[in-house]
Amino acid sequence: MHPVEVTFDALLLFSMVVLAWQGVHARNMFRAVVSFMMFGLLTAVAWVRLEAPDIALAEASLGAGLTGALLLATLGRLGPERRGPRRRRAMKLSMLPWLALGLVGTTVLLAVTLSLPAPGLGEAVLAAMPAAGVDSPVTAVLLNFRAWDTLLEIGVMLLAVIALWSLGQDVLASTSRLPAPALPALVRVLFPLFVLSTFYLLWRGGHGPGGAFPAGALLAAGLVLALLAGARVPERMRGAPLRWAVGGGLFAFLIVAVGGMWAAGAFFAYPPQHASILIAIVEIAAGLSIGVMLTALFLGGEPTEVRRGRT
Amino acid sequence: MTVFYLAGALFLLGNVAVALARVLRGPTAADRMLSGELMGTTAVAVLLLLYGATGIEALLDVALVFAILAAMAVVTFVRRTWPEDPVDDNGGETP
Repeated sequence: MHPVEVTFDALLLFSMVVLAWQGVHARNMFRAVVSFMMFGLLTAVAWVRLEAPDIALAEASLGAGLTGALLLATLGRLGPERRGPRRRRAMKLSMLPWLALGLVGTTVLLAVTLSLPAPGLGEAVLAAMPAAGVDSPVTAVLLNFRAWDTLLEIGVMLLAVIALWSLGQDVLASTSRLPAPALPALVRVLFPLFVLSTFYLLWRGGHGPGGAFPAGALLAAGLVLALLAGARVPERMRGAPLRWAVGGGLFAFLIVAVGGMWAAGAFFAYPPQHASILIAIVEIAAGLSIGVMLTALFLGGEPTEVRRGRT
Repeated sequence: MTVFYLAGALFLLGNVAVALARVLRGPTAADRMLSGELMGTTAVAVLLLLYGATGIEALLDVALVFAILAAMAVVTFVRRTWPEDPVDDNGGETP
């Protein structure tokens, strides 16, 4: 390795440790949130340095983008923070057990990592690639070989949305403050770019890093921007249509999985000649649905439905 | 040429470290947010330079995602956090 690379990695690591420390221990909540967002940014660069561009893409879209916006919005709802001088002293004492736990955890993790079989499953995946229906090994694992895991991930996300929606009301409904005039104009320019990049990443997923999760995160970012600029969920979209959009990814996924049972004899078995198109359908449905689900999380509650003719 | 790109990336990462100091010092929330945005822009440039050094095309996508999401944080900040909490209750002191 070239000395420049070593210096780069060392500086990257140092900045990440400082940011991680700030994210947890900053006395000021806002500083902690900004540190966390910057940590996400540098984590993506670190994944790039580790030659894992797929994870870098996911980290860039989810970690640095939407999570930051969620945290900032939460901070705005919390209001001015109160804190006493006592908290700092208490924190220092309570650090000791955590430090010990962290050391034990790291040691165990290291031992487990060292005991893992060395080549991993990479060769098995590459050997099965001709039957996968896509060119990208990562997409093949996510949506074909281990599609079951991805299905459950989307299920977990749906559960999170259901839990959040049953807890409270749409946050934006209570905000009446008009946005600055420049904001709607900016969003009008940016929103088509978000939609374009969403579909670009969905298309990329077939043969390179990309796919449903980063694409969904980008779509959600665009929708959240529109919401922040004063857009509202249209009346006719509320209620059933929105719920279908939220659950649609999981629904399409399940239909494909059960269809595989009927056509090829096993849950999630794609017939090889149709694998390509089936994966594309699942990827697009999951991507759009993930986008709507993440936006739903940002909304913080189901938009109130205007009921007509019913009580 | 690879070393040239890497040296450029290293220089920009040094800038990120300087921006980090501004995130830590503040004094106002807007200072922290702006230096955060600066870090975001710098990260895009770092990724493009790393693409020059390694030639992995996916880095361009990561840079694209960063560039397009940069607007996100600052808009959320302006709309959700800023008016409610204009000045850090830190009083500008350093940690």
